[in-house]
Amino acid sequence: MRAFLLRLIPLGVGIAMLGIWELSVHLTQVPIFVLPPPSAIGHALVDNFATLMGSLWVTLRITALAFFWALVSGLALAIIFTRARLIELALYPYVVTLQVTPVVAIAPLILIWVGFDNVDRALVIIAWIVAFFPMLTNAVQGLRSTEPQLHDVMTLAGASWWQRLYYLELPAALPAMLTGAKISGGLALIGAVVAEFVAGSGASTGLAWRIIEAGNRLEIATLFAALALLSALGIALFYALTLLEWLVLRRWHDSFAKSP
Amino acid sequence: MTGAPELALNNLGLSYPQRGSEAEVVALRDITASFPAGSFTALVGPSGCGKSSLLRLLAGLLSPTQGDMSAVTQSDIGFVFQEPTLLAWRSVYENVALPLKIANRKSGLRAQEIDTRVREALTLVGLETRAKALPRELSGGMKMRVSLARALAKRPPILLMDEPFAALDELTRFRLDDDLRAIWQRQKPTIIFVTHSVTEAAYLAERALVIRAGSLHAEIKIERPKKHTDNFRAAPNFHAACAAISQALADPKEGTS
Ligand SMILES: Nc1ncnc2c1ncn2[C@@H]1O[C@H](COP(=O)(O)OP(=O)(O)OP(=O)(O)O)[C@@H](O)[C@H]1O
Ligand SMILES: [Mg+2]
Repeated sequence: MRAFLLRLIPLGVGIAMLGIWELSVHLTQVPIFVLPPPSAIGHALVDNFATLMGSLWVTLRITALAFFWALVSGLALAIIFTRARLIELALYPYVVTLQVTPVVAIAPLILIWVGFDNVDRALVIIAWIVAFFPMLTNAVQGLRSTEPQLHDVMTLAGASWWQRLYYLELPAALPAMLTGAKISGGLALIGAVVAEFVAGSGASTGLAWRIIEAGNRLEIATLFAALALLSALGIALFYALTLLEWLVLRRWHDSFAKSP
Repeated sequence: MTGAPELALNNLGLSYPQRGSEAEVVALRDITASFPAGSFTALVGPSGCGKSSLLRLLAGLLSPTQGDMSAVTQSDIGFVFQEPTLLAWRSVYENVALPLKIANRKSGLRAQEIDTRVREALTLVGLETRAKALPRELSGGMKMRVSLARALAKRPPILLMDEPFAALDELTRFRLDDDLRAIWQRQKPTIIFVTHSVTEAAYLAERALVIRAGSLHAEIKIERPKKHTDNFRAAPNFHAACAAISQALADPKEGTS
């Protein structure tokens, strides 16, 4: 019961903040195109519900696809890297290059090459570039973190490389992989927003595009509504992955042990 | 159980590279010894003298840096590591069954045969009721017994054991000592058993090899009656063996170092 009440604290803080916001906007008479009160944002959300939901769907789709490919490519590359040191040596610098080059700088190129006939695909690729690195590094680290003596057990059992992977390395890497997935999930959303910003025109109509549009039209309440939806999307993604982590690991992993 | 080859070591040496230093750690030097098929040998020596290293060499998990040794067939080997080394995400039963399942690709054991062996091994170590538990729900000694069961379920012709009972209370340990003797008498695997305990070495083995600072310091034959009973603890031969091993361990004349 106490734990449950503690969990309500953030909610209470949020409501209080909204109240103060609403009140101070009314008291100080700030123009609505500078800072709209929460009630106006609520109205904007309701009024533009259909378009905003459409936009939410667009952004969600780009995020989900980028996240999916980040997981697949990150894990696949991690498996290859941990099996073939030479390939890792050969490719790793380029992976790092892709990661450290600001994606905003690469995005126009991708839009020209790929976005020419399919903007969505270009957006997914941009978001994927942002998202996949943490998945890769965490998976590599997880696959490498297996206790050496457990490898000896596998060796003595005569395990093939894929049995070793399936029975030992992948399960042992799960905690690290889920951590990587959590970071990648958040980055996929950021990547999707950046991609939409860079694409910039009406070709894609996700939430980020709505924010630009509303900003241009000084519809600040709509801008806030789109922003709120983006945050909600990020939060939902984060907690969905946290839940998944809990479901997968709670039985055996020490970090979920109940006592002390 | 037939067909366990003799294990032979010839002037064997092992050095580990040392991080941040040119000098290597010499873990073993000039070990010449043989382990006939079906023999029971205890390796005794102080901490850090190289017992675990020697066992890992015998299992083919390490290669010697000097000398040579007979070829190892890893499928013949059952190994009990000094620590439990279990898969944290698999139950006791699955941990014991896994090596059989993996080897099954080549050996073609029937699922039912695997099940029989796993249950038998778990019963032997007294954990048949905890088959479904996860490793983290077990005590340290119980985990060690699971690890032991995993090695036994393989019914290997060669059993290498690294202080398997060190974490157990004396009563359980005595019981498992007797069980191990019984297994040995029944199936005649080659057993190489590392222990800190002089009495355990004298009680179990036909022969004790005393290792000190990486060298083979003494080989002590333990005279024992044909038929093993736990009365052996009271026999003069047992005490003689204990005395001989202790003396070899305490001997001021250091080997070669
Ligand atoms: N992986 C390793 N890398 C470097 N040095 C090692 C490694 N393993 C063991 N050594 C060194 O080799 C020597 C022998 O170690 P080993 O583990 O074989 O001893 P041990 O007789 O089994 O000791 P204990 O009874 O404490 O288990 C020690 O000096 C140790 O520091
Ligand atoms: Mg040791």
